[in-house]
Amino acid sequence: MRNILRKSMMNVSPLALASAVMVGTVGASPVLANDQLVELAKDPANWVMTGRDYNAQNYSEMDEINKENVKELRPAWSFSTGVLNGHEGTPLVVGDKMFVHTPFPNIVYALDLKDPGTILWQNKPQQNPTARTVACCDVVNRGLAYWPGDDENGPLIFRTQLDGHIAALDAETGETVWMMENSDIKVGSTLTIAPYVIKDMVLVGSSGAELGVRGYVTAYDVKTGEKRWRAFATGPDEELKLAEDFNEPNPHYGQFNLGTETWEGDAWKIGGGTNWGWYAYDPEEDLFYYGSGNPAPWNETMRPGDNKWTMAIWGREAETGEAKFAYQKTPHDEWDYAGVNVMMLSEQEDKEGNMRKLLTHPDRNGIVYTLDRTNGDLISADKMDDTVNWVKEVQLDTGLPVRDPEFGTRMDHQARDICPSAMGYHNQGHDSYDPERKLFMLGINHICMDWEPFMLPYRAGQFFVGATLNMYPGPKGDRENGLGLGQIKAYNAITGEMAWEKMERFSVWGGTMSTAGGVTFYGTLDGFIKARDSDTGDLLWKFKLPSGVIGHPMTYQHDGRQYVAIMYGVGGWPGVGLVFDLNDPTAGLGSVGAFRRMKEFTQMGGGLMVFSLDGEGPYSDPNVGEYVSGEDA
Amino acid sequence: MKPFLLGVIASLSLALPAFAYDGTNCKAPGNCWEPKPDYPEKVEGSEYDPQHDPAEISKQGESLAVMDNRNEWRVWHMKETGEFEYDVTKIPGYEEGGTPPSE
Repeated sequence: MRNILRKSMMNVSPLALASAVMVGTVGASPVLANDQLVELAKDPANWVMTGRDYNAQNYSEMDEINKENVKELRPAWSFSTGVLNGHEGTPLVVGDKMFVHTPFPNIVYALDLKDPGTILWQNKPQQNPTARTVACCDVVNRGLAYWPGDDENGPLIFRTQLDGHIAALDAETGETVWMMENSDIKVGSTLTIAPYVIKDMVLVGSSGAELGVRGYVTAYDVKTGEKRWRAFATGPDEELKLAEDFNEPNPHYGQFNLGTETWEGDAWKIGGGTNWGWYAYDPEEDLFYYGSGNPAPWNETMRPGDNKWTMAIWGREAETGEAKFAYQKTPHDEWDYAGVNVMMLSEQEDKEGNMRKLLTHPDRNGIVYTLDRTNGDLISADKMDDTVNWVKEVQLDTGLPVRDPEFGTRMDHQARDICPSAMGYHNQGHDSYDPERKLFMLGINHICMDWEPFMLPYRAGQFFVGATLNMYPGPKGDRENGLGLGQIKAYNAITGEMAWEKMERFSVWGGTMSTAGGVTFYGTLDGFIKARDSDTGDLLWKFKLPSGVIGHPMTYQHDGRQYVAIMYGVGGWPGVGLVFDLNDPTAGLGSVGAFRRMKEFTQMGGGLMVFSLDGEGPYSDPNVGEYVSGEDA
Repeated sequence: MKPFLLGVIASLSLALPAFAYDGTNCKAPGNCWEPKPDYPEKVEGSEYDPQHDPAEISKQGESLAVMDNRNEWRVWHMKETGEFEYDVTKIPGYEEGGTPPSE
């Protein structure tokens, strides 16, 4: 492996390194990266991070494409990534460049938006292929991060690799500037998360809870790769990096020593709580937010206790990594409701008319939580769908879910018809918030399950799940025919009501993007990009893509024209049966049975489709990109 | 008939406690788990003891320490020379588990 990796380092730019090191040792630039990222994100032409801006709203103020003319969208250009498997996440656009990522082998492409038929650079790491065997749910990757550079350093692109590395690439040339080890595939730890830039740090999570990996988030110096801090989800308080006033505003959530006391013995060392979802950041509070995932193993009988702090919404200081608050949504998880989902930030008046800084999180357990993001106060906790049955309600005063014991799981018992399934009513999709309508546009799974645990010992690097699952459509779907596995809904976090909701054939796995044009876009597993009226949910337009979608749409502007882009490439957890040609309905941790009909609608592929009104774009002038003798040298 | 009914009632009364855990009976703030009736408070020594091998459990922590150490050498070398070298065995002075010289 080292020989292979050495090869990948041969392209490192000495000049880039020298300048990076110089600044790294001399001191930080007075202009912090997040100031520049905030400014770049203010320009709707750009899409500088996975959620468009630090609020992670996936919302664009552009309205050239709107509900009146969206039906005139046509393909403007497309790009094949050359990779099959599931394509999660979305590309980035900064100025004239688009940066496209792929699943394993995690290639990064830079495209010239003036002539996207020209690949400006590509960086393909040589990875240990063994990484594929320890990835739980296809070999996905959720995207890239951009650091805009400073007075002395050029901009960087950050990429996570399935084999556990975090790499910094020169955004102008694609050369690898540095690459550090973050996760070890020998113990089952991989990386699928999109990195996240705050100030002059890049944050990286961890994957592998299905192999008993103890989760952590790490901050690295963007210029040198030096570790700034690391915070775990389980274990002693100093390793959790709890602030002295941790959870002081909400002591009923629990405070100190619970990362060990809510586990038996050393079980916290193999207890999961990885974070492979999305981050959001409030520069004013200097707090970033994310969710820790499921405890390991899935078999609850093997791990007595509340298993803190898996399944928690975290608010941490970016500078130090210290946690100011954590709220555990599903104590002692019994269903794999891994709580890593998107955190969308908004400012809204609460029911009493007080303007508050909010964090809204559609969790896998079927509850949409809204917290005051300055202190962690729980403001609302509403069921995404009235068919959620593991919990009767969430008590807002205590924060506790009132479980319905009928749908609990335990050894020597097969629990039936639990809603949602382990895939959750919401999974990794990056949803959107429309601030004009005060609506969260939620892509939802509608899947339930039967669950039977079994015992197994922990072996580092091997799967550590301990449950057999059967999944099928929820009560509003068509169980006989295996369809009706998804929904899309518009949710008001203050009233708790859905402005509208629609059923889908399969899960809306990838998430949504909404715009000031009054349109909400999303992709479907059966291979459509769709546009709905944000006010009514009416279907306004759709286009059949070459393969199913598990990523989220984005929009950008170039040369004064608005484009909508989406990656296609079916796969991920819902696609494992199709991707790996599996037929046992319990395979793929139960997804094979749930999505058995998908192969009738789509097949593997991998790429990007870009749309504009009437398909106008860089190649409307047919001379753009033409070969001219002597000019391509 | 009576014995049958009694049997049903008995089995129900045995089954019902297993349905009792609703997560709201807390020992302390943030510590609300209870064993389901007929299931052990601690699994060690019970029929549900997974009997984990302590050597296996320690592997993750050991792996992280080794990776962090290699990364420290890479960062040190980059700061010293301005060049990034992934292969730590090519870094002059590298010794596995050793600390890079102070800057």
